[in-house]
Amino acid sequence: MLILSRKPGESIIIDGRITVRVMRLEGDVVKLGIDAPRDVPVHRQEVYEEIQRSNKEAVTDSHPPLPQLIVQPPPASPAAKK
Amino acid sequence: MNTETLLEPPTQTLDDRAIIHLPFGLLGFEQVKSYILLAAPNEKPFMWMQMMDAPRKSFLIVSPFLVMPEYQLDIPERDVEFLDLTEPTDALVFNICTLRGPGNATINLKAPLVINRYTLICKQVIPDNASQYALNHPLLVT
Repeated sequence: MLILSRKPGESIIIDGRITVRVMRLEGDVVKLGIDAPRDVPVHRQEVYEEIQRSNKEAVTDSHPPLPQLIVQPPPASPAAKK
Repeated sequence: MNTETLLEPPTQTLDDRAIIHLPFGLLGFEQVKSYILLAAPNEKPFMWMQMMDAPRKSFLIVSPFLVMPEYQLDIPERDVEFLDLTEPTDALVFNICTLRGPGNATINLKAPLVINRYTLICKQVIPDNASQYALNHPLLVT
């Protein structure tokens, strides 16, 4: 792994098109600012991994018979009240 | 984008066999970019989202608003731009369900699929308020 030292306000550039800037330090939290083209998805790693796991758990080879969903009634909107 | 005005399941209309495109794929399935949505009358309101190409696996999806009427998602600005959404009503929202055995199913409310209803471009979005929703929210089924 490449390890670089940066101070708040300093950046690194990846592949000439993605900028990661250290915005500030707040205790043990580092705030990063990321500028990336919109075709580059950016995710927090732990969130990415849990959603990836969930998707892999959900994917199926078959279309089994489905249960009946008990639909929740929509909330009463102010406009609907008389 | 705040999608409060999306709280109307009847707007969730699509053809019975629409093909949607996911330029980023689903997380963990990044290489699969096209899916066909299969809506069978006897399976409503569920739909199957099936890979267009081999291995043709499927995901079960449903409108989150039928499960949690007050569901609200703050779509990050980057995703709003990517999906080319100008109005909240441009978006259709579905979430992936997992069947876990008889009477036991869950829905992932943390990572909705947002579809631009006009372009049929879709992205699995992680809303800014995702932390308030569960990855395995129980589905009430019979």
